[in-house]
Order: sequence, then structure tokens, then C-alpha cells
Amino acid sequence: MDCGKVCMMLQDEIDGRLPPSESAEILLHLESCPSCAAEAAGYRRVGEMLRLWAESGAGEKAARLDAMWTRVSAGIDEQRQRDEPASWWRKWIWVPAGAVLAVLVLLFYPSDVSRAPFHPTSFDVAVEDLESDAATVALVDKGEDLPRVIWIIENDKT
Amino acid sequence: MTRPERRPGILLPGIALLAVVLASLAAEAAPAGPVSVDIGVVVASNQGTSVDPALSALRVKLQSMFSYSSYKMLDRAKRNLAVGETGDFALPGGRSMKVTPVAAPPNKVRLAVQIMEGERNLLTTTLGMSRGGMVLVGGPPYRSGVMILLISAE
Repeated sequence: MDCGKVCMMLQDEIDGRLPPSESAEILLHLESCPSCAAEAAGYRRVGEMLRLWAESGAGEKAARLDAMWTRVSAGIDEQRQRDEPASWWRKWIWVPAGAVLAVLVLLFYPSDVSRAPFHPTSFDVAVEDLESDAATVALVDKGEDLPRVIWIIENDKT
Repeated sequence: MTRPERRPGILLPGIALLAVVLASLAAEAAPAGPVSVDIGVVVASNQGTSVDPALSALRVKLQSMFSYSSYKMLDRAKRNLAVGETGDFALPGGRSMKVTPVAAPPNKVRLAVQIMEGERNLLTTTLGMSRGGMVLVGGPPYRSGVMILLISAE
């Protein structure tokens, strides 16, 4: 393995991302090549410095993160306690609301007027007598399936 | 001493016949209950093509009997009337109607109906129908159409 290829694969070897056979080849090359070994040592130093820097940053922020999480947790608990009575209220509000609505409907719905559909059970009607002093009246019978109609004709208008 | 010969088959039919006779007499003698009179005031015209939802069950029948395109229910009144009791119903156009249930056989209803226009007697009739039956009275002009009364009783 030549130096150019070793330099390209050096960071992967340090990070442990190479298969064992390639890693062994690179390590063999480093033993015999001082310049590549120096390069590898430089990579490792930089990596070590980055790791130390990251650890020190996390350590500094850990206390602040803990404090923030404590505040968030307390806020969640407080919100949950506030929501519990509200959800109970929302859950049962429809009962009195429905009762009030029903009472209002019963109070204000006209008792003698209904918009319910007509559902006659029979059209069998016997017209026993038929009189008029002011119009001509006619009995229209178009069969048992249709209602019988008494038609009033005023002054030949209809 | 000989035992009197029993005549089987007489007793039970006799009791049944007696029960039927008594039941029919009781039904005849029972006082007639109140009659629920339901009056719908409909205006039929050729203005529009709508049919009032309350007339949905009668839509096809109305359209097959009359040549109007629109049927709108203006008013509806329901009264419980005893036999001999007269119910007054106000109708549009200064008209009025009196309905009086009269004696009728069981399960039947007889209604004496009078429709007036002011002092003029537009119609006097007596209708006999089954409980739940319906008859239509129409013809008097109203606005741009005619008034049709749906008279039902049960």
C-alpha cells in the first residue's frame, strides 16, 4: 500500500471504520513509513483535542441543562394540574347544557302546530253529504291509493 | 239408575258465542274516545318547484293528482276533540273551519265539517273515515295558488 492511499484511508482507520485486513495493512505501512506515522499521530492528536473540548463544553452546560429540565418538568406538572379540573368540566358540561336545551324546546315549541310529516294510513273516506251555499263543490275520487278530494269552485275561478 | 247422557261439543261453543256477543255489546256501549283532528293548510301554486318536507310522504300523490309544481304548508293545527265538541280552525284568506266529531262505529271517525268565508258557507259535509285516514279539501284561491286542506283524524 503506497503513502497516498494510506493518507486517504488514515482517518477511517483511526475512527475504526475499516475492515481488519485493511487496518492491518495500514498499520504495517505506518511501522515502516515515518512520514505517514507522523501524519497519523497528528490526526490522533487533533481527534483527542476535539473530544476533550466537547467533553468540557458538555460539562459546563450540564448544570444549566439540569436546571432547565427541572423548570420544564415543574411547568408540565403545573399545567397538568390546571388541566385536570378543566377536562372534567368539559366532559360533563353537555349534561346540563342538553337539559337546558330540552327545556327551552319544550317551552317554546308550539304545542298545537307540528311540522312532522303526515303519514295517513288510509284514504278510504266516505263523504256522506256535500253542500255549499256559495260555491260549486265536486268530489274527486281517483282510486283507493289516492286521497279523495273535495274541490270547491268559487265563481268558476278554479 | 242410568246416568244421563252428556252431549259433548255444546258447552264450549256456547260459551265462546256468549263471549263474542258480550264483547261486541261492550264495544258498542263503550263511550267513544276523543278524536285527534290534524289539519294542514297547504298552498299549491306554480311558483317554484318545492314541496314542503312535511308533505314528503304525500309528494307523489299530490303531484299525480294536481298540476301544481309547488306545495307549501302554511299552517298546521292539531286538536283533541270529544264527540260533539266543535273545534274552530282559522284559515288563511279570512276563512274558517269548524270540525265536530260525531258518533261513529268503533275504529271509525265521522267528522262534520263546515268551511266558511266570512258569512258565506263554502262547504258543509260529513266525512266518515278510518282512524288515521285523510281527505283533502281544496279549491279556494289563495295568493297566486289555491288552498288545499289536509284533514286527517285518529
